[in-house]
Amino acid sequence: MNGPMRRMARLVFLGFGLLLGALTWFQVLGADGYRSDPRNVRTAINISGKERGLIVTGDGTVLARSDPDPNDPQAYLRVYPEGPTFAHVAGYTSRLVGEAGLEEAYRNELRSRRDLTISDVIAALFGRDLRPENLLVTIDAELQRAAVAALDGQRGAVVAIEPSTGAVLAYVSSPSYDPNTFLGPSAVANRQTVLDDPNEPIRDRAGTELYPPGSVFKAVVAASAVESGIAGPETTFEDPVVYELPGSTATIGNADGGPCGDGVEVTLQAALVRSCNTIFAALSVRLGATAIGETASSFGFDRTLDFPWALAESTFPASALADDPAALAQSGIGERDVRVTPLQMALVAAAIANSGEVPQPYIVSQVFDADANAREVTEPRLIGRAMSPATAVVLQQMMERVVTSGTGQAASITGVRVAGKTGTALPEPGRPDVWFIGFAPVDAPQIAIAVMLEDGGPLGESGTGGSVAAPIAGTLMERYLVRGDAG
Amino acid sequence: MTRDLQPALLIGAAALAAFGVSLVNFAAQGTVDAQVGLTFGTVLFAFGGVFVAARRFAPEAVPHLLPPIAVIAGFGFIEIFRLNPYRAGLQRWWLLIGAALATVVLAWISRNGLASLRRYRNTQLLLAVGLLLLPLLPSDGPLPIRGLEVNGSRLWIEVDLYIAQLNFQPGEVAKLLFVVFLASYLADRQPALTGAHRRIGRLTLPEPRQLGPLLLVWLGSLGILISQRDLGASLLLFLVFVAMLYVATGEGGYLVGGGLLIAIGGVASWQMFDHVQRRVSAWLDPFGAFEDAGYQVAQGIFGMGTGSLSGSGPGLGRPELIPNAITDFVFAAIGEEFGFAGTVAVLGCYALAIATGFGIALRSRDRFNKLLAFGLTFVFALQTFLIIGGVLRVVPLTGIALPFMSYGGSALVGNFMLVALLLAVSHEEASR
Repeated sequence: MNGPMRRMARLVFLGFGLLLGALTWFQVLGADGYRSDPRNVRTAINISGKERGLIVTGDGTVLARSDPDPNDPQAYLRVYPEGPTFAHVAGYTSRLVGEAGLEEAYRNELRSRRDLTISDVIAALFGRDLRPENLLVTIDAELQRAAVAALDGQRGAVVAIEPSTGAVLAYVSSPSYDPNTFLGPSAVANRQTVLDDPNEPIRDRAGTELYPPGSVFKAVVAASAVESGIAGPETTFEDPVVYELPGSTATIGNADGGPCGDGVEVTLQAALVRSCNTIFAALSVRLGATAIGETASSFGFDRTLDFPWALAESTFPASALADDPAALAQSGIGERDVRVTPLQMALVAAAIANSGEVPQPYIVSQVFDADANAREVTEPRLIGRAMSPATAVVLQQMMERVVTSGTGQAASITGVRVAGKTGTALPEPGRPDVWFIGFAPVDAPQIAIAVMLEDGGPLGESGTGGSVAAPIAGTLMERYLVRGDAG
Repeated sequence: MTRDLQPALLIGAAALAAFGVSLVNFAAQGTVDAQVGLTFGTVLFAFGGVFVAARRFAPEAVPHLLPPIAVIAGFGFIEIFRLNPYRAGLQRWWLLIGAALATVVLAWISRNGLASLRRYRNTQLLLAVGLLLLPLLPSDGPLPIRGLEVNGSRLWIEVDLYIAQLNFQPGEVAKLLFVVFLASYLADRQPALTGAHRRIGRLTLPEPRQLGPLLLVWLGSLGILISQRDLGASLLLFLVFVAMLYVATGEGGYLVGGGLLIAIGGVASWQMFDHVQRRVSAWLDPFGAFEDAGYQVAQGIFGMGTGSLSGSGPGLGRPELIPNAITDFVFAAIGEEFGFAGTVAVLGCYALAIATGFGIALRSRDRFNKLLAFGLTFVFALQTFLIIGGVLRVVPLTGIALPFMSYGGSALVGNFMLVALLLAVSHEEASR
């Protein structure tokens, strides 16, 4: 009997070998992954009360800090001094409701290393500083506050980018919530209140929600047309009252119901200035879905952009539209199947301003230690090129005309050359998403911006990009540039 | 290891448990209280008691079985105390009762000899089946013994002692009776079971007539699964039976046949039973079913991962986030608070105890003793593997107590008796 018995014993110890292997995975090799899994609340429980690093802007505005707990000399309390203004940027770290924003994305940098995990002990032996590290962010605090004030609690978003670097200057989603209420014992109830708010302040409308862009997408179509050589600003187009969708009796008309120009022919320049749907629908079909799709993806559509949190992917579904010219015509004017984030549209404006080079957007410019030594510095880089410098100049000029003499006049700034494009998308009747994208000054762009308001902002169903979003964009760019000159 | 080291090792195990409890004390309240002394006393008294009884009734017994088990019990006690001090108080009594029963077993066998266990073979089988059926008694019946349904499974009975009520899992004792029965049955029946067989290709198959017992036990196991919804006990009984049959006969065909029957039973029960499906899907993807069936396994893994190499330290982790952390998932709680170092130590103690058990079986010359020692060791090893494997996602989770570690009186009593039997076998074989 000893033979079979030995075999069974060997089988048992083979099983124990499997247990040891699994244990090695769960507790050694894969342990960090399980420890930092967002559903593993142990991490959040363990960091509560511990000191965390600062999150500050360049002008010294503190977005997050840790204050000593008056009731417990060992513990710290997290404070978000700016409250709702930076909620979608700084995020929060809460024992009870989890993490978000930079607090989540940079949790390893911001945490104190004094809780003596094995890797921390080893790091300390090699002389590493155990104090938490801090974040310097690119946001311009004043611009951010001005954007919050301009949106005035309405549902919408503002994203501003420095065109030459990709540094995010403003990242506002409105309405917002106060992350301070997510700390402390009533965090769960407070968060539920925020979740129950019909205006959904928890949503990040700037970067993680998708909207139809309406006519601001014409900037992408125009860039594609000029870059491919199909049309220049002075190329003329037939000017019907309505555009008949291919293979259908349905039509696309212009905002005022009439033809774009004199009813005979009209230039691309004029069509962009007046935001004519008839011309851009026809142009999109002539360009084809593939060409527009290539331009869109060179701007950053249909791919995952590198960012501290997961952005929604803006999309122009070129392969599906290739076989459906009617849908392509509608998508070419920013309706139907095109979906974008305000961040992506700010990037489109930034790329046109930046001679066609698309900057990689970033929000953390530096990670620095407790002695203010830089640990990591973000070097500006490019995602790619969306168009040639010559095409970019043509687009800049055409978009400047939109502001000087077209639908975007409300964005004009005295003494500053502004370029832009308006948009009014109608995903459902009576509820327009109104847009403006633009940049200034045209000759040396310092800021590119996208402004979006749901449901026409304060004007409701009669709101348009030109009447609602453009003036906000103009005001914000002016404040940024004027102060920039003064400084 | 010489015999003289055993008292020192047992004192060390008791000191380890007491030290752990003092750390839990300190983490919770910043001071240390009388629980430390009580823990030291309990572990020392229980295992020291069995040691003294073994010296008296089984002086030739192996010396290295009790120490690793005392360490295991100490570790488990620390974690139970940390999670539920009230239950730890009960567990203390169960440790002492288990040790007392182990002493009784040792004394009885010393007087009557192991062979006496073979006299009442059929009674044992009937008793085992009866005990397994007890939980099916109506839970509101007039009898002083009632079946209880806990977490959807029906394995508990409530015994009304008029002064107090006692909850017990009779299956834990039935396991032992089943192994004793099998050992004596197989010791006698070997020729019949190894007689003629058919060959199909390279495979040797027993005659259909000889497969009868295999099918009978298979059906019985499925019966347990269906009537009591107890995946663990069902699998355990069948696997022990197949292993002992294989060892007794040396016929690999039994392993093949047993494997096939497990596959058939497994697939059929997966298709028929919701709770089996939930277990399997939670096993394959606990994180996908995080909000639902996978929560327990996922929390266990989160705990062990957070514990990492050295653990949070006793009292400083969050094992209370793991459902059933003092019973089925005590190993995950150990992993969270004692880290990889602790879980490997525990696994090593189990391996030592199991290797000792197999050693006793291999050295035995008497057929019955040999099969008994093997069966007992295999039951012990299989329980350990199935529940730790369930926690570590090596196998689907089956609700089985981790021997000497999980909270629970019935399991503790059953396992103390198991160890006493192993000691008795080793004594009898060494002194022959």
